[in-house]
Amino acid sequence: MLTIENNTLVQGVDQVKMALPCKGEYVGVVRLTISAIANRMGFNVEEIEDIKVAVSEGCTNAIKHSQDEIFDLDIRVYNNKLEIIIKDSGKGFEVEKIPQPDLENPKENGLGLFIIKTLMDEVSLDSKVGEGSQLTMVKFLGDGK
Amino acid sequence: MALNIDVDFDEQGKKWDVDLAGELDVYTAAQLKVELTTAIENNPANMYINLQNLDYIDSTGLGVLIGKVKKLKPQGYDVFICNPKANVKKIFNITGLDKIFSMEG
Repeated sequence: MLTIENNTLVQGVDQVKMALPCKGEYVGVVRLTISAIANRMGFNVEEIEDIKVAVSEGCTNAIKHSQDEIFDLDIRVYNNKLEIIIKDSGKGFEVEKIPQPDLENPKENGLGLFIIKTLMDEVSLDSKVGEGSQLTMVKFLGDGK
Repeated sequence: MALNIDVDFDEQGKKWDVDLAGELDVYTAAQLKVELTTAIENNPANMYINLQNLDYIDSTGLGVLIGKVKKLKPQGYDVFICNPKANVKKIFNITGLDKIFSMEG
């Protein structure tokens, strides 16, 4: 399998790419797209709901915090897993400064990343101030780990 | 991709009845925030939020509801989350918000 370099396609993996405006009304479009792909791959109803919420949360973070005009969604369909990469070239932030949510005294914001990490099997977040952010999440099919 | 919001004050029960149908996300949460804020500011009371027909919720929707419970609880009122679907209930459970709100059904 080839590695990803400069947006080239990965051999043997189906890739769906979208560039979307950083506007809330497009998150529903992402949910429909990811549901259809996850359904076709054979994820069950509960898993599809988990993926929908996690991907929406990722897109919502890009829309609310990146201060960019568009964000990129890269969906990679493997035999045993679904990988979703959400990337913006916005203002970025220091990952280690993201506070853990206090679940006993919740605030109006700050639950998104916690929800993503709870619902998905693998999550990684890279960000650099002034350069943008990239969130990668993976859900394995069945016991495909 | 829409959210239908129905907010009614029950004069007999002295409570707000809120019905949500559709999807509560980053796009629709702002509309809900305005409607609930208006209701509570004019007439603070217990708020019963019926989620029987809500298909989707995420952190932005939860944020609106957290804001309202924080406003109402110090005044001696509560927010009741009623009849959520399994996928919606799961989001309340994993975030621990099922312990902050009064869950019914």
